Amino acid sequence: MPSRIDLRRLYDTGAQLAPAVHQPQNWPYEVPHDRFEAYMWPPHDVAGQADIPVRYEEKEEEEWELKTYVTCEVLGWKGIWNAEERRRRGNNDLGLSLYYGFPYYGRWIWAAARMLVDKNHVSLTELLEKIAEVRARYGKS
Amino acid sequence: MQSQHDHDHAHDANAAHRAAPMVDEISDFEVLEIAVRELAIEKGLFTADEHRRFTEWAESIGPAAGSRLVAKAWTDPAFKARLLADAVAACREIGLDWAEPTGTGTPSDYMEFRVLEDTPNLHHVIVCTLCSCYPRPVLGHSPYWYRSPNYRRRLVRWPRQVLAEFGLQLPPEVEIRVEDSNQKHRFMVLPMRPPGTEGWTEEQLAEIVTRDCMIGVALPRPDRKADDPRPVQPARRPVESTSANRAAG
Amino acid sequence: MANRETGNVLARFNVGDRVRVKDLPNLFYSRTQMYVRGVSGVIASRTYQSLVPEDEAWNRDEAQPQQFYIVRFRQKDLWEEYPFDNDTLQTELPEGWLEPATD
Repeated sequence: MPSRIDLRRLYDTGAQLAPAVHQPQNWPYEVPHDRFEAYMWPPHDVAGQADIPVRYEEKEEEEWELKTYVTCEVLGWKGIWNAEERRRRGNNDLGLSLYYGFPYYGRWIWAAARMLVDKNHVSLTELLEKIAEVRARYGKS
Repeated sequence: MQSQHDHDHAHDANAAHRAAPMVDEISDFEVLEIAVRELAIEKGLFTADEHRRFTEWAESIGPAAGSRLVAKAWTDPAFKARLLADAVAACREIGLDWAEPTGTGTPSDYMEFRVLEDTPNLHHVIVCTLCSCYPRPVLGHSPYWYRSPNYRRRLVRWPRQVLAEFGLQLPPEVEIRVEDSNQKHRFMVLPMRPPGTEGWTEEQLAEIVTRDCMIGVALPRPDRKADDPRPVQPARRPVESTSANRAAG
Repeated sequence: MANRETGNVLARFNVGDRVRVKDLPNLFYSRTQMYVRGVSGVIASRTYQSLVPEDEAWNRDEAQPQQFYIVRFRQKDLWEEYPFDNDTLQTELPEGWLEPATD
């Protein structure tokens, strides 16, 4: 008799076995209107989409998540951006894959980095060099 | 208040359910966060002191403020009337200023706040289907499930099913009103005072007004001082905070 | 935040008015959810004046603020198959996304 946890893992794994048909998108000559509309639908507007019951669990906050929240808010406080502008919109500009593929605050920090470059507060080269320097500082391979 | 209750139990469940996180190497998001913050300070966009000041505020907020508002509204009809008429002003009566910590509020929470009063025929539940709008000054940071696409997708269309999954079943005669806070207003539910609390003090009452009651996915009960236990996914590198006010969510 | 103080535009709708949410095309960004578009509801509350998200998201601080409203919908109007008569949903919308309902 499997434990409840084993059962849950089994269900999750089973659900992943559902067949899917993938249609590669290589710059099609035409895009049907329905698909165009679906593409243009902002990723954050998810209300009413079908989904199955899940376990609603709590997640302890990560240190970087709190810091990301604060950094984004302080950038707003200082007038560098507003919350609507580049953060909530920036969260959509990621596109669907990253909208769902990043953790919640991953989108925030990505949008903040993008905004700093878009608004010429830092150059992309400066940002890349800083990222490389931080990685080296913390011994990240 | 309902912060640490079920940690140990839930940790065990999750440890078996998910692979243990690697804690040795810094993550890409940690790197990006450090890079953005340091560049912003180097470029003079804000100071380290301003970041620290905002962090102190962000660590001080939690659902205790909302619980006090509800308990006071239950015991003081005049305060309840003021709370429903102008919630931001009523918050100042308990020492909570929505203008904190910048003098004009936070950039994301604004200063528009409404309290939604439940009645025997009406039950409110809040969601932000577009992101995670949440009344941070009175409830703290939103729980992760509140931000999840799943809750945002389903609550507006299948509210009774979602509430049932939280353990809350209401008869069809009770109108369920979903409040989708998609713009600048922030909302909090004022639940009904449950029977069995006659003669209780404000402090006693506040203890049973948990975060979930103010989101609207639970109802206060005299015998419950914490949200129903729910699995807790531990942080890989948690916030190092000493604030007792800080809830798990 | 400061933007909301600047507006002093005339509000077109009153509490109780029936309004219909416009169904404008999607492009880039919006905070008017798909599920309310083309659906009629009732003005539950007249709230504040503010830049609309379509302007605020591109930092158009000089744009004209609009009156915002909380609009109440019947769930049965939003979702054809919704089984409970009494249930409702409220959300907040700027005046420019609303027009008088004819249904």
